[in-house]
Amino acid sequence: MKNNIKVQRAIHNLTQQDLAERIQVSRQTINALEAGKYVPSTVLALKLAKLFDKSVNDIFELEATD
Amino acid sequence: MKTSYLFAHWFKTISGILFVLSFILFVSFYAFDQFGNFEYKAKVFAIIGNDGFLGNNDIFDWVENSIVDEVLATIVIVSGVVFAFAKEKHEDEMVQSIRLHSLAWATIANYGILLFCYLFVYGLPFLNVLMGAMFSQLIIFIILFRYKMYRFYTTQQDEE
Repeated sequence: MKNNIKVQRAIHNLTQQDLAERIQVSRQTINALEAGKYVPSTVLALKLAKLFDKSVNDIFELEATD
Repeated sequence: MKTSYLFAHWFKTISGILFVLSFILFVSFYAFDQFGNFEYKAKVFAIIGNDGFLGNNDIFDWVENSIVDEVLATIVIVSGVVFAFAKEKHEDEMVQSIRLHSLAWATIANYGILLFCYLFVYGLPFLNVLMGAMFSQLIIFIILFRYKMYRFYTTQQDEE
């Protein structure tokens, strides 16, 4: 699964630490999400979407291997 | 996400210290056969107990036994379980996924080792395998989980 969290974060001018605090996860989790090493739960995906004021589909995208 | 089965974070340090100390003590007592030199006899309640290998079984009865090893094993197991399942400082869903992953691998590795020992260790030395099996899964899980968490915490900040 691909995501554009890094882009969204840049648009909202947030550091990884800021974003982590807003959605109550650790900074390392944001790092792993951006690197595509971790697929978040639906709850976390919805929290991100709400924070960025986008729909989940605008942030996350399925890949051919999924 | 809320989890109810984990222990509070402040248990982690104290149980970790207690676990390492009691485990080292237990292993060295066992390895150097020192339980006989540090005896503290007490009457204990036994569901099944017997004296030596050829004695009769006492069922649901009080028997005399040195309780040093029981006390030590209790400390090792309780502190080990609490340490293994204490919350991280920033407990989130990724930590939970790492914990689950470590637990699964620890179970697979543990039973791999046990099967290997079952097939290739015979006679009285097998008692050592049974003794090790009491703690092996917990130990493997703790080592694996701590290593993965160390790797997780030391990931470089990737920002532009």
